[in-house]
Amino acid sequence: MSSSIANETVGSASVREGRTLWEMLTNTYVLYFVSLAGFFLLWDRVAYLHVFGDSLARPHVVAQKLYMLSQVKFAGTNLAGHIWVSTQRVLIGFGLASVIAVPLGLFMSLNQYANAIVKPIFDLFKPMPPIAWVSISILWFGIGEFSKVFIIAIGTFVPCLLNAYNGIRLIEPELYDVVRVLGGSRKDEIIQVSFPASFPAIFAGLQISLSVAWTCLLAAELMNARDGMGFLIKRGMDTHDPALVLGGMVLIAAMAWLSSLLISLLERKACPWKRSIENL
Amino acid sequence: MTAEPSPTLKIHCEDVSKTFIQKGHIGVPVIRDISLDVEENEFLVVLGPGQCGKSTLLRIIAGLETPDTGYVTLDGQPIVGPGPDRGLVFQGYMLFAWETVMGNVEMGLKLRGVPKHERREVAQHYIDLVGLTGFEKHYPHQLSGGMKQRVGIARAYANSPKVMLLDEPFGQLDAQTRMFMQKETARIWEHEKRTVVFVTNNIDEALFLADRIILMEGKLPGRIKREYVIGLPRPRDHAHKDILELRAMITAQTELVL
Ligand SMILES: Nc1ncnc2c1ncn2[C@@H]1O[C@H](COP(=O)(O)OP(=O)(O)OP(=O)(O)O)[C@@H](O)[C@H]1O
Ligand SMILES: [Mg+2]
Repeated sequence: MSSSIANETVGSASVREGRTLWEMLTNTYVLYFVSLAGFFLLWDRVAYLHVFGDSLARPHVVAQKLYMLSQVKFAGTNLAGHIWVSTQRVLIGFGLASVIAVPLGLFMSLNQYANAIVKPIFDLFKPMPPIAWVSISILWFGIGEFSKVFIIAIGTFVPCLLNAYNGIRLIEPELYDVVRVLGGSRKDEIIQVSFPASFPAIFAGLQISLSVAWTCLLAAELMNARDGMGFLIKRGMDTHDPALVLGGMVLIAAMAWLSSLLISLLERKACPWKRSIENL
Repeated sequence: MTAEPSPTLKIHCEDVSKTFIQKGHIGVPVIRDISLDVEENEFLVVLGPGQCGKSTLLRIIAGLETPDTGYVTLDGQPIVGPGPDRGLVFQGYMLFAWETVMGNVEMGLKLRGVPKHERREVAQHYIDLVGLTGFEKHYPHQLSGGMKQRVGIARAYANSPKVMLLDEPFGQLDAQTRMFMQKETARIWEHEKRTVVFVTNNIDEALFLADRIILMEGKLPGRIKREYVIGLPRPRDHAHKDILELRAMITAQTELVL
């Protein structure tokens, strides 16, 4: 009797050990590392073997390029300067659009007259891809800062407004009944239900807008710019410098990722009830 | 309906009918000619199968819908809209996901401008009463179904309504939790007596809780079919012979097994 128990214990212990090794290998972070290392290795090999001729730079060459640019001035400013110029354009365009579009979207969904007036115009412009505005904005505003900010603002306006609008539209109507039954007014319904319930949708809209903003920025800077990350890419293209093109791409991606992280952090602050969903 | 209204009459519905105009349809009559009285501190259960206008009747008493014909009075005053004198517990919980348990329970008091310190105290009392002590800072999604509905009940109670209206409050719970919540409801009601209108499609629930059962017709438009006074002492036992007798009687009256 006791020996059989002992045998079982030994058996299960060895099974568990085997499992631990397997678990270690299949640990998510280990897999992340394997996947990334594999990617960079593949990139390096493909570049080294000149699969795309000489138009693909090896990863460490891209890194060196970025380091070099951070040390010396290139087209009037160093790397930090280029990053900052682009970021400023995004912040201003995105900021302007969201400050107008979110309240407008909320207002439209709360007021049927505002909705009836704005919605047809909005629906007219909605399907227009934002990049289509690049040429016309250069015609209108020239090649200065304003035309770039304008493109970004136009592009980000739509998702900001749409999400704020739908965020309120999709609220369970019975939640308003709760407020009414508890003795609340129409104003209470808006403050206690409409606003907080639409927060997650608003933040989702901001996230989409932000990624649109970086796309628009790139389009605007590729068309014409004397500085910024898009300019670096364009210059790399013109001078056939693949390391510069790739470096610019990596930078834009990094900035887009960083800014989206920032919005996520803001959302956690604004919607603590959602944070606990993620932490569960 | 010729007799003098009794001095303890709380709610009076007189020939209430309601027809909804649904998109692309002619009007759907949902309830027709419903007349009923609820005495002060009476536990009235409205029993009926799915889709017979139970929620609509309750929403009319709550003042969220207006009847097409007939009227409802509370303490002799006609009901013209929702108000804090009637607490409603919703069929689908309807908690504020962005508020904690405390935030949900104190909402009514907050809306009526009760100072924070005071409303916290009242809300805490009802959170304790429904057995959620320690969960004040939890958000609704962190609670089980039974706990969510406790919040719904506490939220309605905290507003100190004269009348509690409960719309199939335990419809989404499993049988075990449901039975437990029925006991809890009886306990809370014994503790803080209120006039209650409790809607359910569950005959055992009705027999366990009711002073009086209003049995609804099993199809639209909803009408009152019969009335049963349940004069049995509490706490009740589902397997008690009087209960089983009543159960058989009511079941015989309904086409569907409830
Ligand atoms: N606001 C409304 N507009 C249109 N139709 C409605 C409305 N409210 C209810 N109805 C219709 O009335 C019918 C009965 O609704 P009600 O919710 O009152 O029944 P119920 O007995 O509570 O049903 P359940 O058991 O499913 O809760 C439903 O079929 C629904 O289609
Ligand atoms: Mg219902």
